[in-house]
Amino acid sequence: MADPYKPRTPFAPWDRRQLPGLFDVEESARRIGNYKWAEMKLFETLGGWVATVPELDVKMRLGTHCYHHAWHAELWHKRLPELREMNPDRLTKPANDAMVRFIEALSEPEAAEQTIEKLVGVYRVFIPHFIAAYTFHRNNTSEITDAPTIRSLNFALHDELEDWRDGEMLLQSLIETPAEVDRAAAHQARLEKIMLEAGGIAGPGSIGVE
Amino acid sequence: MRKFFPVEELARDSRFTQINMRQAQADPRTALVGPNAARRAKTNRLTPSRPDASEAARALMHGIFVGEIQALEGAGRTCHDFETATGSNSAAGTETDSVPFALKLDMARQAWDESRHVEISVKLGEWMGAEIGQFAENTVLFEAACSTDPVMRLAGVNRALEGLAIDVFTTMKEFGEVAGDPFLGFCEDWMLADEVTHVKMGSDWLRKVTENDPERRARALEFQSIVDKLFSFGGTRSESSDSPIGLARRFRELAGFTSDEVDEIADVSLAALEDRKAFAAAAMSSSGMSSSGMAADE
Repeated sequence: MADPYKPRTPFAPWDRRQLPGLFDVEESARRIGNYKWAEMKLFETLGGWVATVPELDVKMRLGTHCYHHAWHAELWHKRLPELREMNPDRLTKPANDAMVRFIEALSEPEAAEQTIEKLVGVYRVFIPHFIAAYTFHRNNTSEITDAPTIRSLNFALHDELEDWRDGEMLLQSLIETPAEVDRAAAHQARLEKIMLEAGGIAGPGSIGVE
Repeated sequence: MRKFFPVEELARDSRFTQINMRQAQADPRTALVGPNAARRAKTNRLTPSRPDASEAARALMHGIFVGEIQALEGAGRTCHDFETATGSNSAAGTETDSVPFALKLDMARQAWDESRHVEISVKLGEWMGAEIGQFAENTVLFEAACSTDPVMRLAGVNRALEGLAIDVFTTMKEFGEVAGDPFLGFCEDWMLADEVTHVKMGSDWLRKVTENDPERRARALEFQSIVDKLFSFGGTRSESSDSPIGLARRFRELAGFTSDEVDEIADVSLAALEDRKAFAAAAMSSSGMSSSGMAADE
């Protein structure tokens, strides 16, 4: 049996986590406040759309994904007080005015014939931007000091990637004509331009590039 | 997207046909008087020994399926239709146009649960030999989710409608067990667990949000009572053997109903059953048919 009193290195040879990170406490809290606001807007929109889509399979997916994003919002809501933000409402806000306009444009389609626009906004624009911002945050924050945020980011990223695949496959099954390809592309371009102005989910620098 | 979505615009594919409560009650196939009543056994409770058990079970399963769709839509709309309460109002959501963040999270969770219930109902329906759209969809359930006051939705949907779901699932579970069906009892028991949670959510939030507003609480409970009577499907659910669906007292108590509240629902349901019989008799009389199913002049 190995000698239990023999000194061992605190970090095992295979544990390569690093102490430095790009974000201090304030910056991490600011980003997380933006994430929470964006996740809230997304789950509210998905919930509202359930009654407006006639396609039964889409209806059920929206209901399921609505909860995923509500849970992400809850994760961020619980993380904020741990980052010295004792009033989570204060930081629960959009990154900028362009993000507010993005949400207005995203949630604008309501008619039963606009399922393609609804899904394009969420699965070809909004969720890819979540994946980008979360991945940048996870890969650049301190692996030791900010481990709780990384754990939540990993949970959220798992959902985002799964949900993106669901949504993209629904879209591919719904788009049947060249005209519908054009509709989807036009709506995607409209929303991407607003998101470009916003600079991403957490504003300019969401993925490191200002 | 608008706040508050009208029931008339609920989006459905071409298989669905929607009807209102009066049309459903006037359907002679489900009347408790007239020719069908004469053909039925002493008890109207859904049991495998009923001659029309297969068709009645398929109809009930389809009713569960469309009810789950509307419950999903209602929970989703509550996530969307109200602002998130902030500041001193954030915990209780005392304003009628806002709800606490945690209440919205519960509604999102309920939306996921109801999505699963739709999935389960589709598969069970197929297993039982039913097709989507084989029976009409009564939209009365979503109507209770259209109130502009979130507390009314909690009372009407979570306490009255989800309470009814407890009764329906208990009846269906018992039917599956007696019939020896390998899936029905298993699935209904899982859905029953979710519904008890939803009713408890409604009971807890109703108490919390109206803690300092007794008038609002009284209005909500009055609305619940109206919806309970409506959702008794004119006597389809009661403790009488004339009703296909029983009242699941034990599960209702687990979900936060007091004994007095369950007694009240039992009374309301019996009254609804009597109203239904009178309504059906009047409808047949006006069409020239006696309550025994014979033409009036025979």
